[in-house]
Amino acid sequence: MPTPSSLLALIGVACGAFALTNAASAQSKPVTIPVLVPLTGFLSLEGTSQRNGADLALREVADDSVRYDVSDTATSPEVAVNALERAMTGDNVVAVVAPMLGTQMLALVPLADEFKVPLVTVSGTAKITELGSPNVYRFFPGDVVVKQAHARYAVEELGIKKPAVVFQTTAYGQSGRVELTRNLQALGSPPVIEEAIDVSVKDMLPVLSKVRAAGADALLLHLHAGSTALVIKQARAAGINLPIIAGSAMHQPQTAALLEPSELAGVCAESGSSPISGGNPKIDDFAKRYRAAFDSEPDAFALGQYDAVRMILAAVNAGARTPDAIRQALANNSHDGLAMRYRSDGKGNMAHDAVIICYDGAGRTPNIVKRYENVTGAR
Amino acid sequence: MFAAQLALNALALGAAYALVAIGFVLVLNATTAVNFGHGDTVVAGGFLAVALATLMPGELAVPGLVLLPAILALMALFGALMSWLVYLPIRDRPPVTTFITTIAFGIIIANGVNALFGGAPRSAPTLIGGGGFSAGELFLSRQSVAIVGVSAVLIAGLALLLNRTQLGRQLRACAQDPEMAQAVGIHLTRMTVITFALAAALAGAAGLLLANQFFVTPSDGGVLMLKAYIAVTIGGWGSLRGAVAGALLIAAFEVAVASQISQPVAEGLLYVTLFIVLFFRPQGLFGEPVGQRA
Repeated sequence: MPTPSSLLALIGVACGAFALTNAASAQSKPVTIPVLVPLTGFLSLEGTSQRNGADLALREVADDSVRYDVSDTATSPEVAVNALERAMTGDNVVAVVAPMLGTQMLALVPLADEFKVPLVTVSGTAKITELGSPNVYRFFPGDVVVKQAHARYAVEELGIKKPAVVFQTTAYGQSGRVELTRNLQALGSPPVIEEAIDVSVKDMLPVLSKVRAAGADALLLHLHAGSTALVIKQARAAGINLPIIAGSAMHQPQTAALLEPSELAGVCAESGSSPISGGNPKIDDFAKRYRAAFDSEPDAFALGQYDAVRMILAAVNAGARTPDAIRQALANNSHDGLAMRYRSDGKGNMAHDAVIICYDGAGRTPNIVKRYENVTGAR
Repeated sequence: MFAAQLALNALALGAAYALVAIGFVLVLNATTAVNFGHGDTVVAGGFLAVALATLMPGELAVPGLVLLPAILALMALFGALMSWLVYLPIRDRPPVTTFITTIAFGIIIANGVNALFGGAPRSAPTLIGGGGFSAGELFLSRQSVAIVGVSAVLIAGLALLLNRTQLGRQLRACAQDPEMAQAVGIHLTRMTVITFALAAALAGAAGLLLANQFFVTPSDGGVLMLKAYIAVTIGGWGSLRGAVAGALLIAAFEVAVASQISQPVAEGLLYVTLFIVLFFRPQGLFGEPVGQRA
């Protein structure tokens, strides 16, 4: 008959074995990383790039230790919220690739705090990392970074004194306009004119005529892809050959495809990176794999999201198997991605570098002409 | 000179919008229901032009104009299909049912185009080549002139069809009094299908005209639908002349008014104008007084 002490020892051994089995099970259990991106609606071009970047990174996981499903969040916050609620019913969800549409992110952040799950995104909307949430991680330089590069290149490199700022009436456009104007003023070249245009505007002659009348010596754009191409096309047709420094939409190959190479002469743009510009063997390899997988050209949104997922996967490989462990890794570690080195500034802003790309007028592949590293000094 | 440039740009934009609005009115008159998928039909026409252009030899100087007959024919078939799918099966139901089915059809078009072509803006071929002519500070782009010309020909052709042919008289009879038209032997279903076909053909032409100079994206349909709705409300619910006038007025606000003030304010003023028209003349600029048609 077992003595009380031996019975206690037996129970202790059984508990230990159970705990070890559970730990081993947690280590071997696949983790899930849902991908929620806008694949339809007005942001489907950028959303598809975001999906492709995440997809490419997740495909590279050789075994079945990581699972993922892609959901379309379209353009409304409600659809995004439903998609996250549905995704969180999945097994062992440790992080979520969240939509780049700022209004959707603003709706998702409180929900992510409730679920205690980290969101990784390439949304540029400044406010998403200003809500005090520990669950938002942005892998694309925000307006604070890229608009400083935008303004500095115009003023310091091109010597622009009287810039015209044309921005979209959307949240994206207004957020960028504030940063761009603030930086231009700080550099001593305040805008001579600021004009807002809706995404539905087709004829840009009214705004271009005002730019000409204001005596601007450069056109600084912060517009979505279609509006960017329309302004450039119609400016060149109207004989307005001012230097144009555009927002990140102009770095996308699909935007350049709308314009003739001659119309692109004198056009530059800010971006987080430019994967098609070449010059870096690792990024060239990424571009090659991207083209093979999706039969299209990669852009900075795809590369940023690829880097974000690679950072999560690195944490998973290092033993992080819970949302909390992934959050700790994102908040405290740095990651040498393909586009840049990522590290949180304490608010979830991971990207602190920007590039300026320019077109030479002979083709549609831009060259990186200037790099701005650690712009905010947060890294 | 600048005013002339603005007028030309507004005329070209308004001409393309007029084709959109006329197609919208044709279906409205034939069914007494709003076709909320009409803007997406324009988008389908634009992407059809993009797709057909890839089949054309690159050295052809006038690809857009060559494509136009094919686009009109294919989009007419598309319109007929649309009537069979989203209107005829539910025509005896309340008008709100048609709203829902046309909205659903529009979403299917937008998402289908997105799946086939991707979400990026695309450009269709020019109608008669790029470039243009300069006269002092005035720049006449070939595409703008071609848009005005093609729109004028199509609108004149439609007017001839409706006013000078037996088919046109039957179409108008069905629009004005379907029961009486049916009583005198006009095949109402056939006329409805033809109306949808005509509307979609005009929408396809508008898609081709807009998609070069102003690009086309899968999500453009909602905005185009809204412009058609406003044009028809200002011009007169059910009036073809009113639809053209309303479309030109919208373009004037987008181009001429926006050049004097900011674009968002010009858009706001357009809606103020809409309210004023509705307040003082609820039937619209060219509409019949309420109750007169019955």
